[in-house]
Amino acid sequence: MATKPTFSQEISNLLYASHGKPLKTCIQCGTCSGSCPVVDFMDQTPRRLIGMINADLKEDVLDCNTYWFCASCYQCTVRCPAQIDIADVMYAVKRYSIWHKTYRDDLVGPTFSETFVKTIVRSGRSYEPLLAPTYMFSMGIKEVLQEAHMATQMMLKGRMPVLPTKIKRLDNFKNMIRRIIPMGGAK
Amino acid sequence: MSEEKIGVYICHCGTNIAKVVDVEDVAEWAGNQPNVEVSREYKFMCSSLGQDLIEEDIKEKGLTRIVVSSCSPHMHEKTFRTACERGGLNPFMFEMANIREHDSWTTDDETAATQKAKALTNAAIERVVHHEALEQLPVEINPNTLVVGGGIAGITAALELADGGRHVYLVEREPSIGGHMAQLDKTFPTLDCSACILTPKMVDAGQHPNITLLTWSEVEKVDGFIGNFTVSIRKKARYVNEEHCTGCGICIEKCPFNVVDDIFEAGMGDRKVIYRPFPQAVPKYPVIDKENCVYFQKGKCKACEKFCPTEPNSIEFDQQDEILTVDVGNIILATGFQLFDSTKIPQYGYGRLPNVFTGIEFERMVNASGPTDGKIVLRDKKTAPKSVAIIHCVGSRDENYHKYCSKICCMYSLKFAHLVHERIPDAEVYNCYIDMRTPGKGYEEFYNRLLEEGTHFIRGKVAEVTNAARKPEEKGKLIVQVEDTLIGRQRRVPVDMVILSPAMEAQPDSKEISQLFKMGCDFDGFFTERHPKLDPVATMTDGILIAGACQGPKDVPDSVAQGAAAAARVAGLINLGTVMMEPVRASINQEDCSGCRICNNMCPYNAIVFHADRKVSEVITALCQGCGTCVAACPSGIISGAHFTNDQLFSQIEGILWDVRPEKELVSA
Repeated sequence: MATKPTFSQEISNLLYASHGKPLKTCIQCGTCSGSCPVVDFMDQTPRRLIGMINADLKEDVLDCNTYWFCASCYQCTVRCPAQIDIADVMYAVKRYSIWHKTYRDDLVGPTFSETFVKTIVRSGRSYEPLLAPTYMFSMGIKEVLQEAHMATQMMLKGRMPVLPTKIKRLDNFKNMIRRIIPMGGAK
Repeated sequence: MSEEKIGVYICHCGTNIAKVVDVEDVAEWAGNQPNVEVSREYKFMCSSLGQDLIEEDIKEKGLTRIVVSSCSPHMHEKTFRTACERGGLNPFMFEMANIREHDSWTTDDETAATQKAKALTNAAIERVVHHEALEQLPVEINPNTLVVGGGIAGITAALELADGGRHVYLVEREPSIGGHMAQLDKTFPTLDCSACILTPKMVDAGQHPNITLLTWSEVEKVDGFIGNFTVSIRKKARYVNEEHCTGCGICIEKCPFNVVDDIFEAGMGDRKVIYRPFPQAVPKYPVIDKENCVYFQKGKCKACEKFCPTEPNSIEFDQQDEILTVDVGNIILATGFQLFDSTKIPQYGYGRLPNVFTGIEFERMVNASGPTDGKIVLRDKKTAPKSVAIIHCVGSRDENYHKYCSKICCMYSLKFAHLVHERIPDAEVYNCYIDMRTPGKGYEEFYNRLLEEGTHFIRGKVAEVTNAARKPEEKGKLIVQVEDTLIGRQRRVPVDMVILSPAMEAQPDSKEISQLFKMGCDFDGFFTERHPKLDPVATMTDGILIAGACQGPKDVPDSVAQGAAAAARVAGLINLGTVMMEPVRASINQEDCSGCRICNNMCPYNAIVFHADRKVSEVITALCQGCGTCVAACPSGIISGAHFTNDQLFSQIEGILWDVRPEKELVSA
């Protein structure tokens, strides 16, 4: 009886906790791509990504950079006339790509996401001085210096912590994370 | 055990029932039930061969009761009753079990479905034993008809009936009939002038000897049933005497106060405080808008009265609302629609960005008798736009607002595009659509015509309209941000004017209207027809019909067709003169009645009289509608409803519980 789930089913399964309607109800109207502030940097628009998932074009979906560029502004989710949670779809494909390690080694997105989540899980807060190096090396020397300069300025003004800080009752937070991340939470 | 001989027939309904229910098993099982003389299964019981089966069995085997397990009684109860009658049996010796809608269509579980089919069939078998022979009651049809709503659907219905020699009361809430069609400039796809084809019909309706026109009026109360409705209509005070007024319009000219016309001009233009919505209004008499009239608010002015040339003066400031009561046989509801409020979608900027217009605003703007004399201009009322974007599906096809497709928007958006091309030949027009839906005679050809005229079609739902420019060429323009899904790229189209095409939605008070007329309306507020395909103008309430956009989004030809269809249905009933009613009536056992009079005031049809001399209540059969209120209310339990007696209902319940009820012996033990 048991057959291997198709790619679109796998992605839908990852959306089991999403509040959105099923991906297959997409009417391809393009509201998501029209609303997207970073669509110009994507090689496929969000609408096409959903179309490609529905068409089970696994390789093409995983090859494109669309979901890595998603800024999680949720504008698409708010406006979608089919009430699909498109931002969640982006996360689902991201998770899929990370678990199956389908992304290219030189891609910054996965490392960035992973470091971000790890810092959060470790201390309950994001810590930029740790996060920044994950993507900084993909830039030129000039940009790195610019970033470093800005970071110093922010630290001086108290806008960025010099040392990592922790939240209160971190254990409770970690327990929550263990519950909500289906893979078992922080490793 | 009684000596009844019951015939049980289990229908396959093709595969509708037989796919899930083991009909052979049910038929065999039913054959073993007490009193069952013959039990059969057949592919289509409703076919003439299926009906013949019943007829022959009654004649040959002397059956006295019939049970058919098939579809809903709504579909074929009448068919099988007639078959019983042909076989020589009283039609009320029949009972129908619904094993399709209530069983096979609801599940894939064959065992459970077969079990339920047995339960439902058994309930019918045990009930039918207690059936009594009844005769249908003829009810006379009052030949007058009430039409509610004076839009194109209502006008058509009224004229069809009036031309056929029947009297019609046409009630309209606004000061003039005409409805939304009177606001339009052109009608798609032939581009006839809307007023030119509508006003002759309005004049006909206004002058027809068989039509009593009641504008500025609303239905307050509806009593009665098919053939005999009594309707109370509130005729709101016009403050103008309709008998004396000649409609010369001097009062309108002399009235010193202007207000924005939110209804007819959709906020695009002004009207006087004493006004006629538009020049061709029917009837021609003006109305005083009490809320804005300086005389009513401050006690001074009376300019209209001073200048009124009629003798005696037509202006009557002391006029009061009148309640009229009319008796009618049938009611046609044609209450129409309203447009979706575009401010609910903030990203389209309506109400915030001045040059975003709604469809009806544009419609008034291009109308030659409208506030701009037919010139297409921006909100400053002088600049003609060089580029226009038309946004489809505003509020429709959207789970957040209305799920349905509003049906007419594609066509009227194309019409807008054409009108822009026609009035401003060098303007660029962009139509942003999700899917182009142009089904209809000449509609697709109209779309082709627009393609030839050079309209830019962008397939994509517009994400937002903004005035935040990113490039120099976007400065001072409205930017329509949309994905052109056929290219797969986000586009920002700078335009001067944006027209939104809002969805048609039900009238805001449609739920109250449906309660007033005791018929159903769906989740969206549109009235529910008796059958979505085969009976689109009737409702579940006999004698109440629906026509036009109150039933669902509809264009002019469809509304006219429905108006005429509803009128034809009414005309047919009036021609018959009487209608046969179900003999489902309450009756009071005169010997046991204690005369408590509890039932007297309960009856919604005033069908119960109290005989003071004998101190008993009695039901007037002609007025009783068989609702059962008195049956439930009677403290002595001596009122019974024919065809719904206690015996019948309790044995039906016993029957449906056949597999779980304890044996009779167990109960007594």
